[in-house]
Amino acid sequence: MGILDVKGLSKAFGDLPVLNNVDLSVQEGERIAIIGASGCGKSVFLRCLNLLEVPDEGHITIDGEEITAKGANIDLIRRKMGMVFQKFHLFSHYNVLDNLCLAPTQLLGMDRVTAEKKAMSLLSQVGLAAKAKVFPTVLSGGQQQRIAICRALMMEPKVLLLDEPTSALDPTMVGEVLAVIRMLAKQKLTMIIVTHEMKFAQEVADRILFFADQGIYEQGSPEEIFNSPQREKTISFIRKHTFFSYEISKRSEFDLMKLQGGIWSFAEKYGINDKHTYLLQLSSEELIYEFFHGSFADGEEVDLKLDVTYAQADDRIIMEVVSGGAEYNPILAESQDDDGMEHIGITLLKKRVSSISYAYEGGKNRVRVEVAGN
Amino acid sequence: MEIIYQIFIANGAFTTICKGLWVTVEISLVALILGTLLGAVICFFRMGNNRLMRFLTAGYIALIRGCPVLMLLMLLFYGVLAQSGLSPIAVAILAFALHTAAHVAELLRSSIMATDFGQVEAARTLGFSRIQAFRLVTLPQMMHIARPVYQSTIVNLIQWTSVVGYVTITDLTRVIYNTASRTMQPMITIIGGMIIYIAISYCVYGIFAWMEWRDTREVAE
Ligand SMILES: Nc1ncnc2c1ncn2[C@@H]1O[C@H](COP(=O)(O)OP(=O)(O)OP(=O)(O)O)[C@@H](O)[C@H]1O
Ligand SMILES: [Mg+2]
Repeated sequence: MGILDVKGLSKAFGDLPVLNNVDLSVQEGERIAIIGASGCGKSVFLRCLNLLEVPDEGHITIDGEEITAKGANIDLIRRKMGMVFQKFHLFSHYNVLDNLCLAPTQLLGMDRVTAEKKAMSLLSQVGLAAKAKVFPTVLSGGQQQRIAICRALMMEPKVLLLDEPTSALDPTMVGEVLAVIRMLAKQKLTMIIVTHEMKFAQEVADRILFFADQGIYEQGSPEEIFNSPQREKTISFIRKHTFFSYEISKRSEFDLMKLQGGIWSFAEKYGINDKHTYLLQLSSEELIYEFFHGSFADGEEVDLKLDVTYAQADDRIIMEVVSGGAEYNPILAESQDDDGMEHIGITLLKKRVSSISYAYEGGKNRVRVEVAGN
Repeated sequence: MEIIYQIFIANGAFTTICKGLWVTVEISLVALILGTLLGAVICFFRMGNNRLMRFLTAGYIALIRGCPVLMLLMLLFYGVLAQSGLSPIAVAILAFALHTAAHVAELLRSSIMATDFGQVEAARTLGFSRIQAFRLVTLPQMMHIARPVYQSTIVNLIQWTSVVGYVTITDLTRVIYNTASRTMQPMITIIGGMIIYIAISYCVYGIFAWMEWRDTREVAE
């Protein structure tokens, strides 16, 4: 028996089956990350655990008490599970301190002084003690989410459920919220977190659940899931989310905006900061135009491939541009060459990336650029 | 000055006007209280799970809001309740309460829908029951949202009661009309009557402004 046990959980909306016969056992102190494509039922699964959605079938037991049992005191059992929502949902008519103190004073009979003391200690742990008397609406998304986490912690839940806690945030605020969750992970709080932040999932979770086909399609350690996924859908999902690739075969088909957008959303997933994202975008653009000019002097046909990967081991982003056509080393390009073509971009790049190298192998030009992860 | 004294004060005119004013206030106030309570009940069923009740309450709201309150009043007075032996004032109160209830039900419904349901879910996950979540989260927020519209509902109600003369009730409007014909000074008399109505409306606005002020002061502290 774990701290949380799910047996045969099924849920459908009308004739749309979302979850089918899902089993899960979570041990105390375990941190579980749920990943999967949009709409595969991750949120529904989490919401079924505390009966925000009523499952059609199945048994859910938390800390020895079955919430799905007939006549179970749902309100009482729910206290054992905290929940953090994508959109925070702080009580907008109460200030921060009241948001935190409401449940413990009303439900646990904690006196106001004790509750405030506890609230202040949590708030200072997340760096927001100064905001105690402020109303939620004036706070940034990142601040609101940190407070929402504190609100859930005030009830001392056995398990904390987090549904995409950083998805509604500005990229600049994701870091501060992830830092708080990391801190909780260190304190051995049992957590189930649905996330699109692959890098975060890898580093913070003990176990990854990949959701597909109405249930847990594959599960394992971060190492197993991210580095050697076994099943087809996992493989393609992981590849898509840890890897960005772009190919060009016709000059006129090259869509710079699409390329840059792809790099941007890739970078966002890994929490790569704006400066490095921009550097990646700049590198890709410069190198592609360099090869357009250097390897395919004229004509519509080109043969270019760009890959961006994230290397977890040393926290680096590696971009590789492979080009057919004539042998051409863009790194050696001078600030301005004979025919007046500008290469200032490349000159700038060389100064700013961690490393850049060129090789000509098997009839292809290969440029490898490395950028520090953060 | 003399003429104003003659019209509004002399020979028991003052008491007559006060009586008329009281009838207007009485009908408005009792209708408002009953209407608000009934409106809350209707809203409860309008948003509930019972399909039949949802349908019936929706029909009621559409019907009442769709026709003039005077029609409803005359229907009750000359038709439905003609043989009931109820006093005209009681019938008027009933008519205006039924009318107000439909408006209040719709106001409450739109206010509830304007609140963030996610906050209720957040409260539920903390362990609050449905009723606790409603009382602690939805209710204070919906009251805040409903307040400005509720204020105009009240003022409208007071003004609409001026039609009760049609069913033999001597309210403020009727008194003013009678006084105007008796003194043959329609201009001054009617302007005087309008000023009284405006004063009542501003009392209502004043109460709401005071409540608003009290709330913002609490927030500032
Ligand atoms: N209340 C509901 N009524 C009907 N269908 C629903 C309801 N909630 C979710 N669904 C459907 O269930 C499926 C799973 O939704 P869910 O929100 O769990 O996806 P998700 O994995 O969390 O996706 P995302 O990553 O976009 O949040 C979707 O097809 C969705 O349309
Ligand atoms: Mg979701």
